[in-house]
Amino acid sequence: MSATAETTAPEAPTTAKGGGGGRSWVPKLTAGERVRALIILGLLAIVLFLLPAILSGYWINVSTDTAIYSVVALGLGVLMGRTGLVSLGQIAVLALAGWVAARLCFATSLPFPVILLLSGLITMVIGTLIGLPALRLQGLYLALITLMLAGAIGVALRTTNFPNGGAGFLGHTESDRGNGTIRRPALAHADTAFFRYTVIVVAIMFLIALLHVRAKPGRAWAAIRQSEPAALAGGVNITLYKLWAFALASFLTGVAGGLLAARSGQLFTLQFPTQDSILLLAAVLMGGIYSFWGAIVAGALMRLLPALLDNWGLPADLLTILFGVGVLQVLLTAPQGIVYQFPRDMARLGRLIGGLFTRARGAPARERAG
Amino acid sequence: MISIKGLTVRFGGVTPLDHMTVDFGEGTNGLIGPNGAGKTTFFNVLSGFVRPAEGSVTVFDEDLFSMPHYRRARWGLRRTFQTEQAIEELTIYENVLMVHEHSSKEVRASRDEDVLGAIKFVGLTASPYAKVASLGAAERRLVEIARAVVGTPRIVLLDEPAAGLPDEETERMGKIIQKIPGEIGALVILVDHDMSLVSACCSKTAVLDFGKLIADGATADVLRDDKVKHAYLGAEAEAAA
Amino acid sequence: MPSWEDFKPFIITGLALGSVYAMSGVGMVVLYRATGVLNLAFGAVGAMGALIAWQLINHNGWAEGPAFVICVLFGGAVTLLYGALFGPPLSGRDPLIKAVATLGLALILLGIMSWVWSDKARSMILPSSNHGFEVSDVFVNYTQVIALGFGIVITIVTGLFLRFTNLGTAMRALANDREITATLGVPVRRVEAAAWLGSGLLAGASGLLLSNLVGLDATTLTFLVISSLAATLIGRLRSIPGTFLAAMGIGLVNALITPILSISQYRDMTPFVLATIALFLLSGRRGNALTGRAG
Repeated sequence: MSATAETTAPEAPTTAKGGGGGRSWVPKLTAGERVRALIILGLLAIVLFLLPAILSGYWINVSTDTAIYSVVALGLGVLMGRTGLVSLGQIAVLALAGWVAARLCFATSLPFPVILLLSGLITMVIGTLIGLPALRLQGLYLALITLMLAGAIGVALRTTNFPNGGAGFLGHTESDRGNGTIRRPALAHADTAFFRYTVIVVAIMFLIALLHVRAKPGRAWAAIRQSEPAALAGGVNITLYKLWAFALASFLTGVAGGLLAARSGQLFTLQFPTQDSILLLAAVLMGGIYSFWGAIVAGALMRLLPALLDNWGLPADLLTILFGVGVLQVLLTAPQGIVYQFPRDMARLGRLIGGLFTRARGAPARERAG
Repeated sequence: MISIKGLTVRFGGVTPLDHMTVDFGEGTNGLIGPNGAGKTTFFNVLSGFVRPAEGSVTVFDEDLFSMPHYRRARWGLRRTFQTEQAIEELTIYENVLMVHEHSSKEVRASRDEDVLGAIKFVGLTASPYAKVASLGAAERRLVEIARAVVGTPRIVLLDEPAAGLPDEETERMGKIIQKIPGEIGALVILVDHDMSLVSACCSKTAVLDFGKLIADGATADVLRDDKVKHAYLGAEAEAAA
Repeated sequence: MPSWEDFKPFIITGLALGSVYAMSGVGMVVLYRATGVLNLAFGAVGAMGALIAWQLINHNGWAEGPAFVICVLFGGAVTLLYGALFGPPLSGRDPLIKAVATLGLALILLGIMSWVWSDKARSMILPSSNHGFEVSDVFVNYTQVIALGFGIVITIVTGLFLRFTNLGTAMRALANDREITATLGVPVRRVEAAAWLGSGLLAGASGLLLSNLVGLDATTLTFLVISSLAATLIGRLRSIPGTFLAAMGIGLVNALITPILSISQYRDMTPFVLATIALFLLSGRRGNALTGRAG
């Protein structure tokens, strides 16, 4: 599932070539990749069934938050790792998405999955609209605009607050009537059930991102990152693909916002401090911007680690300092982040196991093309 | 056929291209000149990275400048760069596929054939599913050529494709380039400093010096031209000759 | 729509604030031009300096003067240290990377501030805030005058410095081309160190003044850098006068919106709105450095 290894080894995909079939839109997996997919499904099963059995209520919620933030990190990773665009305001986008989800919850009685989808789509549209003019700017200026945008959204939200069942467009009221809880899906009300629901949604989000990366957009993004002139000369409409990255990142964050809204029950502006956007950037850098595992690590850094520190009686500020050091360390030494090594090792493992399978079958598995 | 008329580029007080007027016909055309003569600038104008102050470029009876840059690949304009730009983290197959899917209207079914065909055309022996990062310099250049010839290109611009390659690789590159007009059906403009490569591949050559066209004609004649020698070697050559 | 009388008090508030933004903006521009680093930790540095001064005054019994000096010196020292440690290894990288690295510094400082001082409300009133004079029925305190004066003086001095002194010219040369400047025998490291130190001192001073004009809160002060940033962006990270005017504009507009009740709560969006408008107007031209497209 690592995004850095599009194919693990120089072996042909096991589809038969010829016969006019060609390659389908969803790339077939090599043997090594199939093993990896199985491992991931195994991990998923553990998370879904084992974790809820051994963790207490508080930690279940922490795990839910970790999963949610890993999707946000995934979005930022797509932006930064795939297209080199740095956003210093993703948490503000998350807050916006949460606002949209909350508003939809109170204003309509749509089923939860629809609300999730809608908050994803609406955030996607907003993100793309902002991206359109912003893309004309170069790297540093684009990053600064996102920082200022985050500041602006923060100001706006501090004034409008989050919907809490009140009337009017803003849906916020200070009175007692404004204590509505953002609802959860009918079949996932309890914290544990909602955790499982979240993990499944998160897995779907990762899958969507993976499908992007392994297909035409992913190749275009790789080309853009390597060299914009060469990409242009290859016919890539750079603006379109950068916007697509913006759209995907916004959609992911939008869905995460919806999940967060339901998880929290009520949203408050202090859940989205400006500082968090910077912390998220740090976490994504440390986790590794090219790796999907890195996004999960980033989610853990954002939510699991603070909870652990709190549990051990250490101040959360320690983490802020550590994140700062982490950013410097990453930028100085390993621009691809700590987790760059991890997927490579996984890839090697996958290849090894895959090799065992093909040898066991006794078939000359390598189909050379041409 | 490419028809260039009065092409002029100016920026920051420099005139990299000065009223360049020349035609490039079918087959392989050479474009040579000393460093800084404007050859890469010319390619950059064709690619759409640089806007000319004056002049026109007509490609097969169409006005090139009416096409936005990213559409030119779809039209059939391909190009390689002086520093090779093959995408390291993707495989050879994906590199060539990337260009093909963005520059052709082919149905997806035939893409596979076209991509593998292009890889075969340049004679790459490595597995198409090997990552470019694992390839050596000569092979990476071949990947770039494959990207330039996949599908149905109409014009292929090669910017010093053999730069830094040892002689035998250069010869091999030359043989591949010579095949392009016939087998791929594209017009080629080759920029290089290696005169043996240019003589081997190009029947006609144009020469730029300080942005101006100073010679244009059969390659052998052009290479013997005094003006061209002077441009490359300076006054001493004249005195010695 | 409020009357002229309602607006009057906010003019001086806006000018004073804008002036401090100008001061830190100018500091950021000088550093950017000399080293390619846009120091996003500027606000955090100033905030921490102000907190240290507060600590010295309220817990260690220092007199105000020396404590303020420490604040400014702290700004210079931390920035210089950062520049010495992280300037050289990152010097060849993209400005974006260099700016993101300063975010690392900002996080470290924010963490330390939060840990040592936590989020309690504090205030540090300069003695000059208690005295002032009246101009057309509006009370102007001396802190505001100092802020305004400082901003103007620093801008002018910096402009002259860059133009007429050897060190300043060296900085401008560095901005143009680091390699060539080095071959010309200019002591690049020393010039850069001067830029780091100078901008750091300005950061400390800005932090001190802002803690007075706005309040002594680590997070608020740290992120006020956004306003100065907006000014530097409007000045295209190049022009000292442009940055100054933009900063004054931002400060003024921000303050003047206060009495307009319908949008007053949104006035802190001013830096963003103005910077965005400016950026898009500026990048509309072809061949602009902002867009990186060939002209």
